[in-house]
Amino acid sequence: MHDGSGRIVVQNLTKQFGPVAAVQNLSFTVEPGSVTGFLGPNGAGKTTTLRMLLGLVTPTAGVGLINGRPFHQLGNPGRVVGAVLEAQGFHPKRSARNHLRVYAAAIGVPDSRADQVLQLVGLGAAGDRNAGGFSLGMKQRLALATALLGDPQVLVLDEPANGLDPEGIAWLRTFLQSYARSGRTVLISSHLLAEVEQTVDQVVIISRGQTMYFGPLDNLREQQRSRVLVQPSDAAALVAALHEDGITAIEQLPDGRIAVAGVEARQVADTALKAGVSIYGIQEEKADLERLFFQLTSGQYAAAGPNQYAQQQPPQGSGYYAPPPGYQQQQFQQPYQQQQYQQPQQPGYQAAAPGYPPQPGPQVPGYQPQPGHQEPPAGYQAQPAQQEPPPGYPPQPGPQPAPGHQDPPSGYQPGQGQSGLGGGA
Amino acid sequence: MLGNLIKAEFRKTTTTGLWWGLMIPTVLIALGWALGTGYLGKSIMDTIGSSDAEQLTDLLGIDPAQWKVSLFGMARSINIATIFPMIFGGLAISNEISRKTITTTFLTAPNRVSALSAKLIVYVAWGAIYGLAIVASVSIGIAFTSDASALPDAAGWLAMAGVGVLASVLMTMFGVGVGALTGSPIGTTVVLVLYMLILENGIQLVIGTQGIPELIGFLPNGSVNGLTGSVASSLFLSTAGVVPDDLEAVLRAVSGALGAFEWWLSGLIFLLWTALVFLGGWAVTQRKDIT
Repeated sequence: MHDGSGRIVVQNLTKQFGPVAAVQNLSFTVEPGSVTGFLGPNGAGKTTTLRMLLGLVTPTAGVGLINGRPFHQLGNPGRVVGAVLEAQGFHPKRSARNHLRVYAAAIGVPDSRADQVLQLVGLGAAGDRNAGGFSLGMKQRLALATALLGDPQVLVLDEPANGLDPEGIAWLRTFLQSYARSGRTVLISSHLLAEVEQTVDQVVIISRGQTMYFGPLDNLREQQRSRVLVQPSDAAALVAALHEDGITAIEQLPDGRIAVAGVEARQVADTALKAGVSIYGIQEEKADLERLFFQLTSGQYAAAGPNQYAQQQPPQGSGYYAPPPGYQQQQFQQPYQQQQYQQPQQPGYQAAAPGYPPQPGPQVPGYQPQPGHQEPPAGYQAQPAQQEPPPGYPPQPGPQPAPGHQDPPSGYQPGQGQSGLGGGA
Repeated sequence: MLGNLIKAEFRKTTTTGLWWGLMIPTVLIALGWALGTGYLGKSIMDTIGSSDAEQLTDLLGIDPAQWKVSLFGMARSINIATIFPMIFGGLAISNEISRKTITTTFLTAPNRVSALSAKLIVYVAWGAIYGLAIVASVSIGIAFTSDASALPDAAGWLAMAGVGVLASVLMTMFGVGVGALTGSPIGTTVVLVLYMLILENGIQLVIGTQGIPELIGFLPNGSVNGLTGSVASSLFLSTAGVVPDDLEAVLRAVSGALGAFEWWLSGLIFLLWTALVFLGGWAVTQRKDIT
């Protein structure tokens, strides 16, 4: 009936709930043998996607395949795929063991399997208790036990860490990794990259119903570049000296420091010494994965928050923050397209295009630092290869900084071209 | 495969207390109504059979001593008690939707058709179990308070038991359908109870006074009442000797089968109603996005 490959294929999956496009043209594949993280902010369409894959929600367009087949053609699906879904229910008056025996019967596994999976998830002592009295964490374990009843080849988990204590999360991590190591497929969704960062090998990142990235987590990690934050006596002189050395990935920080990407601190210090610029402080900084995730998924809801939504607001005029323009997802998309990024429509660009002409000024929408988070990441915007607008787009008109905007150092300029495109992201 | 799902569905019903929680009032109501109607029948017959009324019965040319009035009590009691298996059926799918166990149910079934088919089979069985309990309770109750002469013979009893179980099965299926249509346990219960006990009785009253009682036989409760009521009145008439025509309509009304057709036709009409809501509920559940 199915090919037994353990592969999950999502092709151009789209779901329209009335006027709301919950999922738009989503495509990715999940290979066996690894834990794949399915990431996106709340409301990005993760749950809908997983439910379409599992045949619970009918897609408006596209298909979700497990082992090369839609869910309804799997024969005995409980033997192929086990799922832990959000808000998966238990009858409050039915004991955990009886709950499992009901579905053991449906799948056609012996009743002893119910006790096995209870032991496996650490609920051995709670089997006779009614599920209604379980804590959230225990319910998650019971849901996992249910998913494991048929010893499935593919495991799909929607936010499984919800309600688990740290010990439970650590246990789950180990369990899922060993499950994947045995050649099986694990797809696990989360709205927090940090939550699954240590668990997953591959990631699919979606935002607003669209794929933003999919591929190995390590590739994503490589995109993070360390940068050096330096406080010179004469910023202009140091920037000029760095330019002479061929270092152009420079950015002015709101606090007066400048950030230099792609170099080591020693090199910056040497250049400064040569140029006769004093250094009052120097510090190496590594952008973390969580922030990268933030960039990829930012901008989902316009009015909801101070930071990632700033790009959809008119510039505030203060300009103090001089938001570094490069802080946009597009910068990441380009390199990924060269890898295995298969997003067919480049929705980020698409989304940006309509708003493009009427937005002459605010080309710096990307990033307003959160309170207490005053260091705009700089490591990205200065990569020349990424500064080019994508083919097919007219050259970007010169960026017009917001009123009061601090003119960044010259090396900073190319990055501005990027941000307009990213505006819709 | 379907065998596995039937086993699973059956376990679902036996691992919670709902089945006996509804079985208790079913038995109590069936027993109580049978006792009450039996007593009422006996009182009336005692009055009619008394020497004072003898002249009247002689005048009419009837012989009340052969009247098996307990049949009417049985029909009425069965009809009232089948409200509970109907509610039990109504909660079959709506409870799964509200508790969200429907997710796991669909995840462990090859497709929704098989999951719902398994449910159908299990609830037919439960309808029969409730029906047997109802028939047994009614029989015990009616035997306690009726004169032996007023009780049906074995064949008559079997006929009543048969239509009683059939009515219970159909009522359960009707409930399953309504439950699938509304998707809400409370909504289903309210709709079923309100309609069956109050709303349709109101409609029947209106139709009855308009002189078109035949329409009642087409209504859900009218037709399911006709199942037991028609059997009761034909059994009664077959042994009652001479019964004036005017009295026949009264007797049918007493048995709850006013305007109802023959028992098999009534059964078919209610089966149509059941099929209508059941297939509607099935279609809704089949297409429903489980979110």
